[in-house]
Amino acid sequence: MNRFFEIFFVIWSWLSALCLVGAVAAILGFLCVKGFPALNVELIFGNTEPLSALLLQKQVFDGLFPAIVGTLCLVVLSVLLAVPLGVAAGIYMAEYAVGYVKTCCDFLFDILAGIPSIVIGLFGFTLAVFLHKNFSDQVYPCFLISSISLAFLVLPYIVRSTQISLEEIDPAIRNTALALGASRLQNIIHVLLPRALGGICSGVILAIGRCAEDTAVIMLTGAVAIAGIPRSILGQYEALPFYIFYISSQYADQAELMRGYGASLILIMLCTLLFLVAFLVRKRIAYQAFYKA
Amino acid sequence: MFELIKIKTENLSFSYNGNRILDNVSLEFREKTITAIVGPSGIGKSTFLLTLNRLWETVPQSSMSGRVKIRFDGKMQDIYGNGMSLTGLRRKVGMVFQAPNPLPMSIFKNIAFPLKLAGIKDRRTIDENVERALQQAGLWMEVKDRLNDSGLHLSGGQQQRLCIARALVLQPEVLLLDEPTSSLDDASAAVIEELLVNLKDNCTLIVVSHYFDQVKRIADTVFQFPYNGISQQ
Amino acid sequence: MTRFQEAICEKLLLSAAWTSGSIVVFIFAFMLFLGLPLLSGGHFFSLLTAHWAPQQGSYGILPMMAGSLFLALLGLLFSFPLSLGCACFISVLGPAKLRFLLRKVVELMTGIPTVIYGFVGLFLLVPLVRDIFGRGGLSLLSASLMLALLIAPTMILFFCDSFDRVPRSYLDAVDAMGGSKVQKLLYVMLPNSVHGIAAGITIALGRAVGDTLLALMLAGNAIHIPHSCLDSARTLTSHIGLVFSADFESLEFKAIFACGITLYLFTAVLVLVVRGINHRLRRPL
Repeated sequence: MNRFFEIFFVIWSWLSALCLVGAVAAILGFLCVKGFPALNVELIFGNTEPLSALLLQKQVFDGLFPAIVGTLCLVVLSVLLAVPLGVAAGIYMAEYAVGYVKTCCDFLFDILAGIPSIVIGLFGFTLAVFLHKNFSDQVYPCFLISSISLAFLVLPYIVRSTQISLEEIDPAIRNTALALGASRLQNIIHVLLPRALGGICSGVILAIGRCAEDTAVIMLTGAVAIAGIPRSILGQYEALPFYIFYISSQYADQAELMRGYGASLILIMLCTLLFLVAFLVRKRIAYQAFYKA
Repeated sequence: MFELIKIKTENLSFSYNGNRILDNVSLEFREKTITAIVGPSGIGKSTFLLTLNRLWETVPQSSMSGRVKIRFDGKMQDIYGNGMSLTGLRRKVGMVFQAPNPLPMSIFKNIAFPLKLAGIKDRRTIDENVERALQQAGLWMEVKDRLNDSGLHLSGGQQQRLCIARALVLQPEVLLLDEPTSSLDDASAAVIEELLVNLKDNCTLIVVSHYFDQVKRIADTVFQFPYNGISQQ
Repeated sequence: MTRFQEAICEKLLLSAAWTSGSIVVFIFAFMLFLGLPLLSGGHFFSLLTAHWAPQQGSYGILPMMAGSLFLALLGLLFSFPLSLGCACFISVLGPAKLRFLLRKVVELMTGIPTVIYGFVGLFLLVPLVRDIFGRGGLSLLSASLMLALLIAPTMILFFCDSFDRVPRSYLDAVDAMGGSKVQKLLYVMLPNSVHGIAAGITIALGRAVGDTLLALMLAGNAIHIPHSCLDSARTLTSHIGLVFSADFESLEFKAIFACGITLYLFTAVLVLVVRGINHRLRRPL
């Protein structure tokens, strides 16, 4: 009986592995087969000259260029907002926090990491409405609101990766500079942070990936199907994941659908690249921040 | 021979995680001598050193009672007293660890690092102090042409002397050494022993060791741990 | 650096931590405040149990809750055996090279955007399901199959982690007794990783409930309590995404705050559960 169960379990394990690899291969293969034919200069720039589009001289109407630029701008602003706050909070958690402050913040960050992104999107949207009603008629769901919401979304990843990579440092190294008369802050700045930099960077790269792929937040906070290049932080904008989502339900003809496949392929290459870099930077830290609750 | 007492501990007790490691240790250390602390491992010798520069405070779940007084500027001062600056204390009480722990920077920057921490920016002062410390540690001749190489590329014995030089660059009055030769080969250990004897002119040294022959060669005073109130000269 | 500067910096870092933490509280307070018209007068529980019929003035979110739970549990049901098998393969059972390869594939999966799973699901899986069952293209089944893939890497990496934490000495003991790989796994590693596996499932459940796009794109979005896997259903998350376009002042819109609050509280409970499990894990046996 036991013998039978053991053999069954081994077979099961092999089957699961095959099944998972098969599924991933099917997804990637499907995208590649469908998407590669669509992948060309026209997909990105439409009928506009690539050079004049890049120099922002001409608008691109039927290409992915505005969506790609939108996603890039979104990522940059969100990460710029989240990194200083997140790294500072992570340093505090690792080096200063004790007792109930630590327990309390720990709990709050766990919740923040677990809040569904659509709820954060809802929060961003209501924030915009609230500001619109109470402060200025100019405020609508917009690029800035999206960036703030996304910054909230990725904040726990940055906090956690900073905290974990600081806490992982060998106590012997921690004491080296202290024994030489370094203050707590000097120790952090000159010794601990440089050591933790790899881990912090991979956390930031993961955050970038998360910003680039998230759709639920931006669909509530100002991403639209057609807006052109983002011109103001208070304006609406296009983004690659939202474009894919939009195409999947609203495509009018085969040509548009093909552009959807092309966009998917571009997005997946972008995200895979980011994750590969993150895992190269420091594999271990990366997923601890991601999967440890 | 009349010698001043440099360090004095009174009823020093230390617990880690609820286990008492040091129990009522009262000792005196004379100025400009080498005192060795010997005994089996795990008996609190290293911990005792950490109470002298308050480095144990970074260890969670540890607690200490009793007093430690060190003579600075001519009078005995309680190092756990309110007026004592933690960083100031650690600049005057240097420490060398069991395993060499150069930081991942060049040889020069390693030595200059404590000066940077102390806020010394003058280039000439830094250069002079680095050279003096390296000479005191007997490393100057070996590294003077490659000060910009990484400190991690030196041999084990050189790394340990680098760490000693780094501890000496601030001209500390006390130097704590936690089994400084245990990770080195005999030849490197001999170099360091000789070095320690020469340092006696400038500071008070406390060496934790479990090599009795080493202790016999260099120490002026020996304390045997676990401490039972008896010391041997 | 002076003591004064040190103190300033510490205060700055502290305020960064509190700011980040207070965002969590702020989000909740904001939703509670805006959803208040619905909640006042003790209607909250009736909201949770009533059906959605805006024409009759009933804005209950019961169907969405049922949809969320049904979808998440179905996804978990597909994903758990798969993930456990893969984790065992990676940790013990597979040949060295394949183990490494599978691990890389799983890590790669964490990088695939959700919208891609939805997109491929819509154009590859949905027609397939429709062909096989004759109906139910946009259904809980399609959504949960894709969801299973989405949450699998979370579970697999978490399981592998808890296998790795089984003390080396236990494994050596089994090896010394001449136990085979699978015996080592079944009789030593699995029983000693129960807590880790439970925590992994809880976290995966959180992700499954929190996912918006797969539900929105693949589950069909019909508002009723689902009775079979081939039914179409709407989840709390996709409800927020869909009603969003309605008039902001309407009660219909306010009801999505009830969805938001429910999701938020559910997340908080899951966090507490995981913490409880981890706490037990740390306690000496």
